[in-house]
Amino acid sequence: MLLAPHMAQPAFVPPSSADFFFNPAFGNSILATKPVMLLLFSVILITAFFTVSARKAAILPSRLQFSGELIYGFVRDGIGRDVIGEEFQRFVPFLFAIFTFVLTNNLFGVVPFMQFPTMSHIGFPVSITIFVYLVYHYVAIKKKGLGRYLKEMCFMPGVPKAVYVILAPVEFLTYFAVRPLTLAMRLFGNMFAGHLLLLLFTLGGEYMLKSALFVKFFAILSFGLAIGLSFFEMGIQCLQAYIFTLLAALYIAGALADEH
Amino acid sequence: MATNEDGAFWTIIAYLISGLGFWGGIGYLGDRHFKTNFLTILGMGFGLVTGLYLIWIKFIKENPPQ
Amino acid sequence: MKGTLSIVGFGLSTIGPGTATGLIFAAYINGVARQPEARSILQPIAFLGFALAEALAIFGLVLAFVLK
Repeated sequence: MLLAPHMAQPAFVPPSSADFFFNPAFGNSILATKPVMLLLFSVILITAFFTVSARKAAILPSRLQFSGELIYGFVRDGIGRDVIGEEFQRFVPFLFAIFTFVLTNNLFGVVPFMQFPTMSHIGFPVSITIFVYLVYHYVAIKKKGLGRYLKEMCFMPGVPKAVYVILAPVEFLTYFAVRPLTLAMRLFGNMFAGHLLLLLFTLGGEYMLKSALFVKFFAILSFGLAIGLSFFEMGIQCLQAYIFTLLAALYIAGALADEH
Repeated sequence: MATNEDGAFWTIIAYLISGLGFWGGIGYLGDRHFKTNFLTILGMGFGLVTGLYLIWIKFIKENPPQ
Repeated sequence: MKGTLSIVGFGLSTIGPGTATGLIFAAYINGVARQPEARSILQPIAFLGFALAEALAIFGLVLAFVLK
């Protein structure tokens, strides 16, 4: 039996959701765990990067200033102006904060020695989503008033009266429950699954390395796949940060739009 | 709103989920109340049709193919 | 191994819609690339196809939770 592991070796334990929980680094507080530390580190990192890149703003930008302006310009023009329209300037700081925050925290998933995407704990996407939720409802209610907002939301024109009984609750549920839910779940699910995938190939490779000689060759394959998938994950992490910000902008645009 | 192509996909999915969830949920509650077992699936089918109808109104009727 | 078979069923039920969505958008991109002015005509049709295909996937998702 060439493929069977040694008798002494325990069976392979696949990675599970239990691998996403860390013991506190010190004390008993949940605030001292790895995800929270990474979160705080990301805030410091973002603040430091953009402070430094914007401090010596010159007409002929340095490389650092250029990279900072590139990200800012991407969010302002690519997401803000294209999606929200003429009132976009008001929301650019909000969108920019979301984008950089989510992007940095996602990218921690492939940075060596950190290798944990903060957003794979559902609490973090949910809390960002709560902000988005509050903002887009606040904007809409402030602009249209609560009554008109609900009326425009639930009763679109061009439908027979009797059908509203069927459609209105579905519309209401979409705006108040499903949209924020999918927003949070999409980010969480992508990060969780991606991290699990990388864990599987890394742990599997490690296990195979301890197995019989013939199996050891497959460990190289597994580790190679883990490295390749890390780059793939990097793409997904950038894409998810973009989609999250884009959808936040779309919801704000929908709240601002006058329907007919 | 939401004629933007990037957002339309997610809006479509959101409508389908909420249609299915709402009417399927009502069917489930009906099942529990009346001790039957067909209302859930009936509600889900109805919710699916509702979601598709909403999508038809929002995305297809407004910009019809010539 | 632990878990429910419903999840496997959901996984299987997403194969069809996944393939369908891919085919729909492949055709849509093809059409728009050949005739950019046909975009406004093709877009609702693509959305309709996407919605119909995706409906099945979401039906599978809900059934995975409902069936015991």
